[in-house]
Amino acid sequence: MASLAMYPDDERLAGAARAAFNLYMITAVVLFVLMMLIGLTMRMAQATWLNVPPALFYELLSMHGAGMVGTMSLATTAVMWFFLRKYVRLRLWAFVTNYVLFLLGALCVVLSIFSGGYGALWTFLYPLPIHGMGMWTPGSSALFMVGNLLIGVGSLLFYLDAAAGIIEVHGNLGRALGLQWLLGGTIDPDHPKAVVAGTMVIISNSLGILAGAVALVMSLVNILYPEVVLDALVAKNLIYWFGHQYINATIYMGVIAVYELLPRYTGRPYPISRPFLWSWAVSTVFVITVFPHHLLMDFAQPRWLAITGQLVSWGAGFPVFLVTAYGALTNLYRSDIRWTMPSRLLILSMFGWAAGIVPAILDGTIRNNLVMHNTQWVPGHFHFYLLIGVLSMVLALMFHVIGRRAHAPPNSRADKLGFPVYLMGGLVFVFAFLDAGHLSVPRRMAEHLPAWTFTDKIGSIGAMLVVLAMLYFTIRIMAGLLKAPSAGSAGVGIADAAG
Amino acid sequence: MTVPPRGKPWLGPMLWLALALPAARHALEATMTLHMLVQIPLLAIAGWWLRPLLPRGAVKSLAAWNRGGISGLLLASLAAMVWMLPRALDAALEEPWIEMAKFIGVPLLIGVPLAVSWPHAGFVVRGVFLAEVIATAFRLGWLFLLAPQRWCSNYLLSDQQRLGKAMLAIGVAISLLLAWKLMWGRIDADGTRRL
Repeated sequence: MASLAMYPDDERLAGAARAAFNLYMITAVVLFVLMMLIGLTMRMAQATWLNVPPALFYELLSMHGAGMVGTMSLATTAVMWFFLRKYVRLRLWAFVTNYVLFLLGALCVVLSIFSGGYGALWTFLYPLPIHGMGMWTPGSSALFMVGNLLIGVGSLLFYLDAAAGIIEVHGNLGRALGLQWLLGGTIDPDHPKAVVAGTMVIISNSLGILAGAVALVMSLVNILYPEVVLDALVAKNLIYWFGHQYINATIYMGVIAVYELLPRYTGRPYPISRPFLWSWAVSTVFVITVFPHHLLMDFAQPRWLAITGQLVSWGAGFPVFLVTAYGALTNLYRSDIRWTMPSRLLILSMFGWAAGIVPAILDGTIRNNLVMHNTQWVPGHFHFYLLIGVLSMVLALMFHVIGRRAHAPPNSRADKLGFPVYLMGGLVFVFAFLDAGHLSVPRRMAEHLPAWTFTDKIGSIGAMLVVLAMLYFTIRIMAGLLKAPSAGSAGVGIADAAG
Repeated sequence: MTVPPRGKPWLGPMLWLALALPAARHALEATMTLHMLVQIPLLAIAGWWLRPLLPRGAVKSLAAWNRGGISGLLLASLAAMVWMLPRALDAALEEPWIEMAKFIGVPLLIGVPLAVSWPHAGFVVRGVFLAEVIATAFRLGWLFLLAPQRWCSNYLLSDQQRLGKAMLAIGVAISLLLAWKLMWGRIDADGTRRL
């Protein structure tokens, strides 16, 4: 069971581990702000408040998509590493190699977009990247794909090292997931939730990355030898198998922060249970098989795959989420929770995850998808769970860590002001997208008709508030992380947790 | 795959010679599928079984250059890449010296490095290697299936497409085997501690 001590000794960061963690987190918050500024620019362009040429808009959209997905993965990988290293042996070189490969990959992506003019979005859907129609060259598409490959290889190395550590302790991945306790037996109360969640991520995301690596290399072959023509539907299936699992893995890595930190702030244990293990086991299967719900509009897709996507997406969102949200609420109910930045963000993340799932399930239904798939309903859904859900999980850990260095969980007046600005801005921003989707405003359009700009303007105001709050968080977190740890910062006990 | 049973170090050279017999050579080179998926892997296995015949001193002195088995696995991968090219298969059928290069190169540059390196490779290195094997099987299988014309002048298009299907099947089979092993199998804990 996770420790109830607010800052246990086995989480202390020192030396190279501290430097690596700081690099991950500082890079992540800086990239989040930059990508948010790009997002704000695009919303303001759609609102006709800024003049952005269409070609540049699609470059910005490609950068924002690739940048946000990559950065979310980078940050949540750091969350997984931070907690998992307490239970299994993780080697620092793998964590650092992932960071270095991410930076190299990001450099390729940035160069391909801003130097090569690449604008075929982060999903690199074949054959669009190969046909830039004069706006970008196949070479810049190739650079974008090489960048993605580097980032994927980094993630795979990290997962392999994490799998090695988990297998060393638990024997195999099935036992780490707790499959031996699904139908009976006494569950080890000390079996870490971080291991269960981490194992699920290793299984699903490794498969996804493998599929992505096949699609990327085949696209590169097509760039080098255009006479080798790929089956576009097979390529799309592989790309969404990769893309869906890669972005979903960020939730499952990020939620480890909720399992580990929430009990410390409520002062109550958060025990592992059979429903918890069932939910993670079922979700492991669902997250691998749900991807066809991204292809419901593809008429050539085999019917059985579309039906699979439909049925699984009705179920996929629920198991882990329900068990986690129910567990978090019962943990919170009548507790003496101390409302500080980490605890506020943890609870907010549960709300963001919960509310973000609802529009996803609506859109994952074939009848609705026919109407909503190409509208702003879709960015409304994924911004909901990523901005208010997953980013809040990451920020919660960052504020928690800087609290260790300041001997208390952060809760300054500026924090108290920054949190509602982030929350209100986020809600206005995502509801503007959802309302635009409800009004059938199309997504991925550089220029909007006058009738569509109302929600663009509301969304831009929300985005401004989010950027403002995030700028403050970034400065606060960077200053906190770079502050030298003091000698007496270890082992603040449970009394602090209850506050 | 393991070293030949104790006391039978002649298995490697015997297999090597058997594969070089004209009858075996003609039979295994009759189709593209047999050539790439049977003859070349068997030559690599013959090389693997040559491992007990290597001088101990040479293996020991090479070990410093083969930390975690990385150099050897990289060499084997690069050599294997050559024999995945249809042009190389064609050339082996048409040029005796390339056929000779195949019979010498595959055992010595794929089989032997694999045999020397695999025991030293830990979980992560083996994982990277096997992930690349699976991805390569899927990529090549897909390529052979979708190619509109034959890439070997000595083999038919239907044979090339059969090879593509076989490679996809191999990719699926290795994936399922590894998934089963990782989920429910017994894994060498010592390997997880090495690179």
